[in-house]
Amino acid sequence: MMKSNYKLTKKDFNQINRRSLFGFQLGWNYERMQGSGYLYTILPQLRKMYGDGTPELKSMMKTHVQFFNTSNFLNTIVTGIDMAIEEKEGIDGQDTVAGIKAGLMGPFAAIGDSIFGALLPTIFGALAANMAVNGNPLGAFIWMLVNFAVMFFRWKQLEIAYKEGISLVTTMQGRLTAITDAATLLGVFMVGALVATMVNVQIAWTPSVGGLVIDVQNNINMIMPRLVPAAIVGIVYWLLGKKNITSTKAIFIVLVVSIALSALGVISK
Amino acid sequence: MAVAWWQILLLTLYAGYQILDELQVYTGLAQPVFAGLVAGLIMGDITTGLIIGGSMQLTVLGIGTFGGSSKIDANSGTVLATAFSVGIGMEPEQAIAAIAVPVASLMIQMDILGRFANTFFAHRIDSKIEEMDYKGIERNYLMGALSWSLSRAVPVLLALSFGGSFVNSIVNVLNNQLQWLGDGLSVAGAVLPAVGFAILLRYLPVKKHMPYLILGFVITALLTTVFTSIRTLGDTMTGVAEGFTNTFTSMPMLAIAMIGFALAFREYKRTSEAPKAAVHNASGLEEGEIDDDEI
Repeated sequence: MMKSNYKLTKKDFNQINRRSLFGFQLGWNYERMQGSGYLYTILPQLRKMYGDGTPELKSMMKTHVQFFNTSNFLNTIVTGIDMAIEEKEGIDGQDTVAGIKAGLMGPFAAIGDSIFGALLPTIFGALAANMAVNGNPLGAFIWMLVNFAVMFFRWKQLEIAYKEGISLVTTMQGRLTAITDAATLLGVFMVGALVATMVNVQIAWTPSVGGLVIDVQNNINMIMPRLVPAAIVGIVYWLLGKKNITSTKAIFIVLVVSIALSALGVISK
Repeated sequence: MAVAWWQILLLTLYAGYQILDELQVYTGLAQPVFAGLVAGLIMGDITTGLIIGGSMQLTVLGIGTFGGSSKIDANSGTVLATAFSVGIGMEPEQAIAAIAVPVASLMIQMDILGRFANTFFAHRIDSKIEEMDYKGIERNYLMGALSWSLSRAVPVLLALSFGGSFVNSIVNVLNNQLQWLGDGLSVAGAVLPAVGFAILLRYLPVKKHMPYLILGFVITALLTTVFTSIRTLGDTMTGVAEGFTNTFTSMPMLAIAMIGFALAFREYKRTSEAPKAAVHNASGLEEGEIDDDEI
């Protein structure tokens, strides 16, 4: 069986990174999700390793076009580990590679989604939005800077993964758990802060009992300022836990209820 | 015509570009706050764009593309809401609830269509693999950019070209016959960020970090009340006393984030040291030195 004699160079890494950064998800589809994207990012390298027109290349291309879906921020870690194995074992590593791809895409999807899909947008998106509603675009540009820093790491991780191989996953595990834990804490803290500032609604209802007008909002303020926004978030949180309630449905329910309560004079801006 | 043809062209181009940015390079240009900024810039009213973009950003704060599921398209919503808000003269908060949110959720269908269209190209790639046609594989792969881009650009183009008079008549009704609905939409626009926060909490380990949720809320609620009150006092003083020239800023959110960061840093220190302690404990057990006091 033919072994590949090709060694990846700096140029190859740059090419994979370029293709990943600017094209990894262009072919996303319901059937195999990022499958064709994975093949696209490493196609030139596969051709160099196995040689054009060989049955090995065709067989490997078929392997790499299969179902794949992971975080598009961490996909090149899987690619790097994959490339190291294929470089060493060639077509013999086919099953190993398929197994590693299938085994790693889930965990990396989870890590990537929680850090890049939820946490960074929470912290920096919230800052940006907070400044934006006051007419200040500065926060948005701070967020953009952070994204460029993330891009730098996305570019670097491929080569690190290639060098460290599968052992990287185990060494990363401990540190990642600690980082994720700290980051989610910051996320939760920030949501608390946002609830207190960004939901600007109050009770407009002022019932009069025996000639005495009660300012409900004022009474609430004495208990705890910003209690109304906290209660609304709590209710929506509870609502989202119900079956068949998607985020889109929740948005529309809030829309309708808010309009109704406003029309009845219960709440105002 | 409320929105000029060159504005429509630029907004359409942005709508087509932003989805590609979000999928790949992720500069941030594909976030609602930037959609508002860009649309505001094109329409010549950045403040309105930022208000709409910022509010939509908060509304979708916790919504990501998890596992490739479609999410509501806040960007297209923001672009259209900003364009009509500036072009026709609609209150930004009303535009959020009346245009941005409905458009954003309707656009889910376009997202599904775009992803579906790519299945066609995926099958073409399969046959190109059989033929060992490498250029063909790449060409069919890159065609995916078309389905993505057009799925956003075409609806935005159509809505901007033909939606103007429709939105215009809606605004008219909201400001006259249906005043209560117009006000209601404004209130709804102010409440919507609450949904974003609630969704986000669903994704975060709230129960584990509950104390920090309370801390974040209480610290900020108290400080924002203090800052707002001082500001109100200051403004009133300026009007009354001539020699009073101090100005007060609003509460800096970054400072609050720093408190949160300090707490998170402590947690990181604690958890990254914890495994060592556990190992130590385990080895202690092996030697048979069980410390009952520790329990």
